[in-house]
Amino acid sequence: MRNIGLIVGREFRERVYKKSFIITTILMPLLMILLSAAPSLIMAFAESDNKQITVIDESGIVAPRLTSGEELSFEISDKELSEAIIEASQNEDNFGVLYIGKDIVANPNDVRLYTSSSSSLMLEESIAGQIEEVIESERLKEYNIENIDEILKKVEATVHLTTFRTDKEEQSAASSAIASSLTGLVLGFLLYFILVIYGSMVMQSVIEEKSSRILEVMVSTVKPFEMLMGKILGIALVAAVQIAVWGVLLVIFSALIMPALMPDNILDSVQQVQAGADVAAIATQQELSPELLTAMASVLDTGHIATIITLVLLFTVGGFLLYASLYAAVGASVDEAQDAQQFTTIITLPIIVAFVVIMMIMKDPNSAVVYWCSMIPFTSPIVMVARMPSGIPAWEIALSLALLYATFVLCVWGAAKIYKVGIFMHGSKPSFKDLWRWLRY
Amino acid sequence: MSNIISAEHITKRFSAHTALDDVSVEIPRGSVYGLLGPNGAGKTTLIRTITRISLPDEGRILFDGRPITQQDIFRIGYLPEERGLYRKMKVGDEALFLAQLKGLKRHEALVRLKEWFERFGIEEWWNKKVEELSKGMAQKIQFIVTVLHRPELLIFDEPFSGFDPINANLLKEEILRLRDEGATVIFSTHNMSSVEEICDHITLINKSHNVLSGRVDDIRRAHGGNIFSVQYRGDGKALAERIQGICEILEQEEATVGLSSLKIHIERNEDIRSTVSLINDAVELRQFTETIPSMNDIFIRAVNGGL
Repeated sequence: MRNIGLIVGREFRERVYKKSFIITTILMPLLMILLSAAPSLIMAFAESDNKQITVIDESGIVAPRLTSGEELSFEISDKELSEAIIEASQNEDNFGVLYIGKDIVANPNDVRLYTSSSSSLMLEESIAGQIEEVIESERLKEYNIENIDEILKKVEATVHLTTFRTDKEEQSAASSAIASSLTGLVLGFLLYFILVIYGSMVMQSVIEEKSSRILEVMVSTVKPFEMLMGKILGIALVAAVQIAVWGVLLVIFSALIMPALMPDNILDSVQQVQAGADVAAIATQQELSPELLTAMASVLDTGHIATIITLVLLFTVGGFLLYASLYAAVGASVDEAQDAQQFTTIITLPIIVAFVVIMMIMKDPNSAVVYWCSMIPFTSPIVMVARMPSGIPAWEIALSLALLYATFVLCVWGAAKIYKVGIFMHGSKPSFKDLWRWLRY
Repeated sequence: MSNIISAEHITKRFSAHTALDDVSVEIPRGSVYGLLGPNGAGKTTLIRTITRISLPDEGRILFDGRPITQQDIFRIGYLPEERGLYRKMKVGDEALFLAQLKGLKRHEALVRLKEWFERFGIEEWWNKKVEELSKGMAQKIQFIVTVLHRPELLIFDEPFSGFDPINANLLKEEILRLRDEGATVIFSTHNMSSVEEICDHITLINKSHNVLSGRVDDIRRAHGGNIFSVQYRGDGKALAERIQGICEILEQEEATVGLSSLKIHIERNEDIRSTVSLINDAVELRQFTETIPSMNDIFIRAVNGGL
C-alpha cells in the first residue's frame, strides 16, 4: 500500500509540475470556448445575404400577402414576364422572378421561379410554404364559415407526454427516455474523450520503465501489481485535477463570453417547467422543442441531482480505471508504443457497443440486452448511467458498481502478471502449465 | 558459517537454449562472492532467479535456509546490469523516491542520502536532472540507491562496467566497507583482477554449468600445482613445437630484445624433468620457476576446458 502511494505521488508530480501540463490545462478551455463560439461569431460577422425577388402575380391574391424576411424580400411588379426576367438578370442585387398564375387557388402548380443563379432548397421551400398558406386560407374562405380564424386557433394542439413512475420507490421521479439517453450519450462521450487522452498516458507510463531501462530495478523493488496500480491511480488523479480545472475555467470563461452568444432565457424556461408549468406553452413561447425542455428539466432537477452526480462519478471513475487497466495491460505486453496501436483500437470497441445500446434504452430501458449491458463492466459505466433516470432498484446499481470495481482490480492483477511474465521470457512461448505457475508465483 | 543463499539444482530453459543446467551455488553469509564466467554463460540468469525476477524451471532458492519469498526481496539490494533511471526526474527526488520504495522513511532516506552524496563528493548534483548526468555519474547514483537501505545481501551485476579506473577503485573500497559492516556481497564480473582483490569465494559458470566453486585461496592453491614460468632466449616457435603434447602452453611472449617468456602447465609431476630437458634442447633456458596461477589463468583454463 505504501509503495502504491509513493508511485501515485511520483506519477502525479512528474506530470502536474510540467510546464506543458500547466499550459494545456489553461489553454484547453479557452480553445474549446472559441471553437464552440466560432460558428456564431462567423454568422455575426458575415454580411447578411438578402435576396430580392420580383413577383409577378396574375391572380393578385398572393403577392400582397408574401412577407419579406431576413433572407428574402419581395417586390411586386406589373411588368411583362420576359421583360422582368431580362431586368432581373441585369441587376446584380436581384435574385430572380417569381411568376404566379392567374388561377392559382384552383391550380396551385402554376408557379414558376426564374433565377440567374442556382437557388437553394431552403429558399424554394420557404417561398412554396408561404404560397401554400395563402392558397389554403383562400380555399377555406370559400366555405363561408364564420370566425374561421378563431376556430382554427382553438383546434390547434401539440401533445407532449410527461411520464411519472408510480411504483413504490420513486413515485415522483419523472422518467424521460430522452433525458436518460442524453445523459448516457454525454457521459459516454466524456468517458471516451477521457480515455483517449489519459488511457494512452497510462500506456506510455508503463512503457517508460522499459525504455528508460529502470525496469529491472523496479521489478526487484516493488510488485508489478503495486507499480501498475500506482501508475493508474496516479494518472487518474492527474486526470481528475485537469478536468476539474477545465470545468472551473470553462464555467468562468463561459460566464464571461456566453451570454452574448446564447439565448439566456432557456434556463428560465427550464425552471418554469420544473415549477410545473405547461411544457408545450413555454416551448412554443421560447421556440424550443418541448422534448428538449423536459429532458433538461429532469436532468437539472435538484432533488435528484446529488444522488445522480455521486453515482455518475462512481461509474465514470470506475469506467476510467477499468479501461486504464486495459491500457496498462497493453503497455505491459509491448516494448514500444508503436507496437500498441492495434490493441488500443480494440480496447475502445466496447464503448461503441455501449453507444448502440443507449439507442435501445430509448425503446425499452428494461430489455434484456440493456439489462445485461448495464451489468457487464465494460459497458456498464455508460449504459447504467443512461438507465438510471428511469428508476433502477438500488441493488442493481450496487451490484453493477461492485462488478465494475472488482473487474478493475482483476484486470490490474492480470496486467501485472503479463508484465512480469513478459519481461524476461525472451520469446519462449509459455504453456498453460507455465502460465499457471506464473500466476501463483 | 551459514549460507545466506543456497541455489539448489537450478535449471532454466529458454526456447532456444538452456541458460542454466543443474547449477548449485552456496553463498556463505558475510562473504564477497564472485560469479565469474564469459558473456552468455548464465550469470545474469542465475542472479535473476535469486532476485525472483525469473522463475527457475527446476530447483529452488533458499534464503537463510528456507525457500525465498517476496518479502525477502526487501532484504536484498540489487544493481542489475541493465540499469537506468527515470530520465526526467531530478537526481535528489529520484534517489528519495527509490529509497522510500525500499522501505526507508522519508526523513531517514534524506539523511542517509546526504551522507552518501557527501562521501562521493556529488552534493551539487542533487538538483540536476538525471538526463544531464553522464553514464558513470548515473551509475554512482544507482549504486547509492542500491545500498542505501542497508540490505543484508547485495547483488551487483557487472558493477565495474562503465567506470573509469579511479571510480572502479572507489567502488571496490565501498564494497569492502559494506562487507565489513556485515553485508554479504555477490557480484558478477569478467574483470579478473577485481576478483583477486576483493572476492573470498567464487563460482565459475561456463556454458550454463557450474564449472568451479569455492574459496579463492583454496582454488588458487588447488590449481597452483605445476604452473611454471620459463625465461629463455631463442626460437620460440621451435620451442612450442617441441614441448607440445607433454605440457600445455598458457602464455607465450616473444621478445626481440632480452628474454622471451613462457607460461606452461605440466599435468604430471614425472613429466617435469623431461619438459625441462626438451626446453633446454630447443632454446637457451635462463629461468624455470613454479608460479601460483592468477585467477585469470584459472579462468582461461577453465573456459577452454583445461580443468
